[in-house]
Amino acid sequence: MEELIEEERKKMQTIRLKLKEEITSGIAKIPVEVDSLTPDKLFGKNEAEIKAVKVWWGNKEENTGDLFDVSVEGEAASADEVKIVMEGDLSRVKHIGDGMKAGEIEALGDVDMHCGAMMQGGRVTVKGNADCWAGREMRGGELIIEGDAGDNLCAMYRGEMTGMTGGKVTVGGDAGECVGQYMAGGEILIKGNAGILTGLNMKGGKITIEGDAIMPGADMTGGEITVKGKVRDMMPSFKFVETATIEGEEYKKYLGDLAMTEKRAKGVLYVK
Amino acid sequence: MVEELLIRNGVVYDPINGVNGEKKDICIRDGKVVEEVRNPKVIDAEGRVVMPGGVDIHAHIAGGKVNAGRLFRPEDGRKGREAKTKVCRAQSGYSVPNTFATGYRYAKMGYTFVMEAAMPPLAARHTHEEIVDIPILDNAALPLIDNNWMTMEYVKSGDTDLLAAYIAWMVKATKGYGVKVVNPGGTEAWAWAKNCDLNDAVPYFDVTPAEIVKGLAEATEKFEMPHSIHVHGNMLGHPGNYEVTTSTYDLVKGIKPYRDRPTMHATHTQFHSYGGTTWADFESKAGAIADYVNKNEHVSIDLGSVILGDTTTMTADGPMEYSLYQITGRKWTNHDVELETGSGITPFLYSGKVSVHTIQWAIGQELALLIKDPWKLALTTDHPNAGPFIGYPIIISMLMSKRRRDESAEDMHSAIYKRAELPSIDREYDLNEIAIITRGMAAKTLGLHEHGKGHLGVGADGDVAIYDLSPEEREAGKIQKAFLNTKYTIKGGEVVVKDGEVVAAPAGKTYFVTPECDPKLTDEMMTHLKDKFEHYYSVTFNNYPVQDAYVPNPYEIKAPWRS
Amino acid sequence: MVEITDVVCSLCGCVCDDIVVEVEDNNVTKVKKGACSVGKSKLMGHGRIESPAIRENGSLKDCSYDDAIKKAAEILAAARRPLLYGWSSTVCEADKVGVELAEEIGAVIDNTASVCHGPSVLAIQDVGLPSCTLGEVKNRADLIIYWGANPAAAHANHMKRYSYITKGYWTAEGKKNKKLIVVDVRRTATAKMADVFLQIEQGKDYLVFSALRAMLYGYEDVVPEVVGGVSKKDLLETVRMMKEAKFGIIFFGMGVTHTGARHNNIVNAIQTTRAAHTHTKFNIMPMRGHYNVAGINQVCTWETGYPFAVDLSRGYAWYNPGEHSATDLLIRRECDVALFIASDPGAHFPGESIRHLAKIPVIQIDPFPNPTTEFADVVIPAAISGIEAEGNVYRMDNIPIRLRKLVDTEYMADEEILERILGEVRAIKEKEGE
Repeated sequence: MEELIEEERKKMQTIRLKLKEEITSGIAKIPVEVDSLTPDKLFGKNEAEIKAVKVWWGNKEENTGDLFDVSVEGEAASADEVKIVMEGDLSRVKHIGDGMKAGEIEALGDVDMHCGAMMQGGRVTVKGNADCWAGREMRGGELIIEGDAGDNLCAMYRGEMTGMTGGKVTVGGDAGECVGQYMAGGEILIKGNAGILTGLNMKGGKITIEGDAIMPGADMTGGEITVKGKVRDMMPSFKFVETATIEGEEYKKYLGDLAMTEKRAKGVLYVK
Repeated sequence: MVEELLIRNGVVYDPINGVNGEKKDICIRDGKVVEEVRNPKVIDAEGRVVMPGGVDIHAHIAGGKVNAGRLFRPEDGRKGREAKTKVCRAQSGYSVPNTFATGYRYAKMGYTFVMEAAMPPLAARHTHEEIVDIPILDNAALPLIDNNWMTMEYVKSGDTDLLAAYIAWMVKATKGYGVKVVNPGGTEAWAWAKNCDLNDAVPYFDVTPAEIVKGLAEATEKFEMPHSIHVHGNMLGHPGNYEVTTSTYDLVKGIKPYRDRPTMHATHTQFHSYGGTTWADFESKAGAIADYVNKNEHVSIDLGSVILGDTTTMTADGPMEYSLYQITGRKWTNHDVELETGSGITPFLYSGKVSVHTIQWAIGQELALLIKDPWKLALTTDHPNAGPFIGYPIIISMLMSKRRRDESAEDMHSAIYKRAELPSIDREYDLNEIAIITRGMAAKTLGLHEHGKGHLGVGADGDVAIYDLSPEEREAGKIQKAFLNTKYTIKGGEVVVKDGEVVAAPAGKTYFVTPECDPKLTDEMMTHLKDKFEHYYSVTFNNYPVQDAYVPNPYEIKAPWRS
Repeated sequence: MVEITDVVCSLCGCVCDDIVVEVEDNNVTKVKKGACSVGKSKLMGHGRIESPAIRENGSLKDCSYDDAIKKAAEILAAARRPLLYGWSSTVCEADKVGVELAEEIGAVIDNTASVCHGPSVLAIQDVGLPSCTLGEVKNRADLIIYWGANPAAAHANHMKRYSYITKGYWTAEGKKNKKLIVVDVRRTATAKMADVFLQIEQGKDYLVFSALRAMLYGYEDVVPEVVGGVSKKDLLETVRMMKEAKFGIIFFGMGVTHTGARHNNIVNAIQTTRAAHTHTKFNIMPMRGHYNVAGINQVCTWETGYPFAVDLSRGYAWYNPGEHSATDLLIRRECDVALFIASDPGAHFPGESIRHLAKIPVIQIDPFPNPTTEFADVVIPAAISGIEAEGNVYRMDNIPIRLRKLVDTEYMADEEILERILGEVRAIKEKEGE
C-alpha cells in the first residue's frame, strides 16, 4: 500500500513558488500578477524555463525566478498532474489560477484579487482569505477558499450580463457584497455570512448561504438562493409562494424579482 | 516625410478616372499626385491591386453617442486590446474602438477619409475634440438639422430662404459638412416619448416629417453644397417600412440639385428595406428598393450591411433605440438634446440562428447586387449599428464570391431561402466595382473628388492603398484577408501602413463647408435664432459656435448661394 | 476697465455660462451677474501657490518651473506603479496630455469620479442612462425629483437655471405648474421647498427603488406597508405623480452614490426611471460635482476606452474600479509615486491613504495651496482655468462649453506643464534606452 501511495505521489509534479520577502517589504506594496503561472501554462517546462516565465510587477515584466524562489519536484504526464504550491506574502499576488484549465494550485495564505477568475478546470485551494473578484466569470473547476472571500465573488466583469457559468466554489468563512452577480450556472456555498446583494441579477445556478444575508436575490430572473441564517432587509418586490421542506428544515419559498416584471421573475429564494 | 514617391507595377483601379485594372505608375510629390517624379523613393507593388485611399461616407466614429457607447461597454473595451508601440497609442475595443484604434484599423484597411455620420450641433465641440484624436484619417462631420425647432418653424411657415439662412449658420457654427436628417420630426416627438411616421404631425410643431425633408432639400440646394441632404428616414427598423422609404425618396424628386449629383443620399438602406407586417412574417424588400434606385437618378444609397456578432447600436433615432432595448432588455442610454435632436445607444447581437437577423444580413448584400449601377451605392455597415467597420472586408468578399454567400447561408437560418432573395442571385462584383463602392462613389457623392479624394488623377491627394492581392484572385478568404490589412497605405504621400503594421500616424485634416448667405437674410434669421437662445437654450448665443481652436487642421470648402 | 460677457464659471457641474465680469489692471474686480456666491468667490480669486517648489529636508524650497518639472519627470520615469490623479478641475486639453503621460510611464490614471460619481458610471455600465440636456428639463419638465442631492447648497444655480424655478417653452409659468419631490435622509434646504418630501432611513434607498419599480409595473400587492422608513401610501402617491407627469426627471447626488448599496442604488434608480418610462417620458441625471469631471471621463473614455481608474501598466488599458481607483491603490499602499492635479486628495481621501502618501514622492499641480501641499514633494503652481487659461469642459449633462481667458498671467497652464513633464520623461527614457 505504501508503495502504491508513493507511486501515486510521484505522478504529481509539484512546483513550489515562494514569493521573495523583499517584493512586499518596501514602502509600496506593488502587486505581482501571476496569470502566466497556471498548471497548464507551466506544464512541460523545467525549472530554468519556469524561472524565465515573465510576470508583471507594476509596469515592468520580470522573470518569475527574480520574484519567487522556484523548486520543482516530480514529473507530470499532463497538466492535470501539475500542482503549484504558492507561499510567502501572497496578499499582493493577483490573478492566481486566472484562466486555468487543469491541475491544482494551493495558496498557503491570504491571496489578492482575481484568484480563480475565468477558471475552466482544475482546482484552486486558498488556505486563507481571498480578496475581491475571486472566481470572477468562472466556467468550470473548483475553487476552495478556507477563510473569507472579498466582494464580487464569482461575479461578472463590469458591463457584462453573464458572470459565473459553471464550476463549484466553497467559502469557509464570510463573503462580501454581490456574491455571484449575473450568475448563469454553477454552485456557490458560503459557510459564513454574506454581504449585501447576494445573487444580484442571478439567472441560473445555485447559491447557498449558511449564515446571514442582506437583500438577497435582488433583480434575479432565474437560479436558486438558499439562506439558512437570517435575512436582513428582505426585498419588497418578492412574492411569497409557499413553505417548503428542504433536508428536514422548513423554509419560506419566494419568487422574484418582480421589479424585473412578473414575466421575468423566475428566481427562487428560500429563507429559513 | 519623403518628398517624392513612385509606386510602380501596381494594377490600378481608379474608377473616377476610368482606370480599370491598368498597370500604371503613380507619382506623388509633396503629398499630391503628379505626372512624373525625378528622384523618388520607389515602392514596387509587384502586380498588386492599387486603389485610391478608401472614403467612408457614413460611420459613427466620434461624438457624444459614440463615446457614450464606449463608456457603458467596458466589456467591449476589453476586446481588441493592443499595447502601445513606438508609433501607436494603446488600443481597445471592438464595436466601439478607442479613437486611436479607429484610426489605425481604418488605415490598415486602406481608408484615408471617414465621414462622421451625425453630429448634434449643441455638442459639436465634442465631435471635433474627439475626432482630432483619430490619427491618420481625414474627416468631416454632418450636423443634425432636421428636428431643430428653427427648422420645423420655418418649414411650417414655408420660409425656405430663411431656412437656408439657418442651415448656412448651423453648418458654419458647427464646422460641419452638410445637412444630416435622422428620423425627422420623430426625434422631437421622442422628447415626449412619442414618434412620428412620415405623414404624422409633430406634436406642438404641427409639421410632418415629409414636409421637413422636402423643406430641407429645397433649402440645401439654394447653395452650391458639395453634398445633398443625408437622410436616415422615418420608421427605421420596422417591418413593412419599405413603402415609407420609397415615399421618402419621392419627396425630393422634383428638386434640382446644384450639380450632377443626387438630391438625397439615403443612408444605411438595409434598415429601410423591410417587408412583412410583424417580425413573424418579416421579409426582404431589397428588390423593391433596388428597383426604385435603378429607375431613378435623384437618390443615392449606402448599404448598412450586417456583420454577424455583437455590436453597439447608436443613432439619433431615439424611439427606435428604445424599441430595440425593449426587445433585448439590454442596457440602454438615451440623450435628448434641447431644441435640436436626441440619441439612443444599446448593444445588439446579430445572430445567424435568428431568422430576422439572417434576413437583415441578406438584405445588406441584396441591395448591392440588385442595384445595377454601383455608382449609386456605397459600402457601409452604418458602423457600428449593423456591425463594426472592421467587417468591411467580409462584405467585400461576399459581394465578390457567390460561393462564399452560399456557404454562409447554409450556416444561417433557413428563412434566407424563403424570405430573402440572396441565394438566388448569381452576380459577383469585380474589383472595379468594389473600388467604386468603397471610394469612388463616396468621394463623388460628397463632392470630395473635387478636393483630392477618392481618385488618383493628377492633383489628387497622395492617398493610396496597395492591397496584397493579385487582380485575378477570386478566393473569398484571400480577398477578405487582403482588404483587412494592406501591404501599404499611403496618406498624403507618406507611408503610414506597411505589411499590415502602422508605421506612421500623422494627424488628419477636418473638412468643413462654409455656405455663403445673403447678410439681410441672415440678419432676419438671427432675430428668431437669438430669441431661442434668450428663452430656451441653456447656453448663450456667443458660447454656441465651435471656436477655431477645436479644428487645428482645417480644410474649408465654400458653398456660394446659387445664382 | 473692461466688461466681459458670456463668462463661463469653472467651479461646479452647472457650468453657468452667462456670467458678466469686470476686469481692471489684469484682475477680475467685479462679478456683475450670473454667478452664485461660490462661483463668484472663485472668480474674484484668493490665495494661491506663489512659486514652484521642491521639498528638501522637510520644507518646501522655491525653485524655477524648469527645476520642478525636471524633478517631477525624474520621479515619474523611475516609478514602477505611479498614480496620476485628479483632472476634474482643469480643461480637456490638459487631460489629453495626462492620458498620454500615463501611457508613457505605465501609470494608473484616475480622476475624482472615483470618490464622487464613479458609482453612477458603474451603474451606467450595467443598465445605461436615459437622460437629456439641461435645456430639455428647463423646457419640458413638470415633475422634478432630487434624490440624495441638495442643490440649494451644492449647486446653487441649478434650480433657477435648469429645473424647478426656471421658465421654458412648455414651462412658461415656472414652478406654478411643476411639482418638486425631494428624497433624503434629513430635511435639507431643498427639501423645504418641495411639494413632497420623502424621508428615507439611512442606507435603505435600494429597497425603496425596488418597491417603486414593482408598483410602476402594477405589483403593489407584494409590497409591504413600510419600505425603508417610507409608508406604502406615500410610495403609491409618488408613483401616481410619476405616471401623471408629462416629463419627469430624477437628479441624484452623493446621498445615494456612497451609502448603502452605493452604485447599485444608482442601477436601481435608473431601473426605476425605465419603469416610469413605460408610462411617460422620464429621464435621470447625476449631479456632477466638479466642473470638468464629466470632461476627464469623456477624454479618458475615447482615448483609452474607459472613464476612470485606468491601469496602463501593461501598455494597454485595463479597467476595474475597486481595484484601480486611487483610494483603493493608496489604502493598499500599492503606489510608489503619486501626481495630483486639479484635485485635493489631502482634504477628500481617507486617512489611511494620506498616511501612505506621506511616505512616497508626491507631485502636486494646482493653482491653490491645500492640504495636499502639506506633504507634496514637488509643487507646481498652475494658471487658473476659466480665468487665466481657456479650454474645453463638459457640463454635468455632457454639453461641451469653452472656458474663457479673462486675464493674463505669469503662471504656466496645466497643459503646458504636463507637455513639458512628458517631454522630460521621454528624454530620460531615451537616454536609458541607449
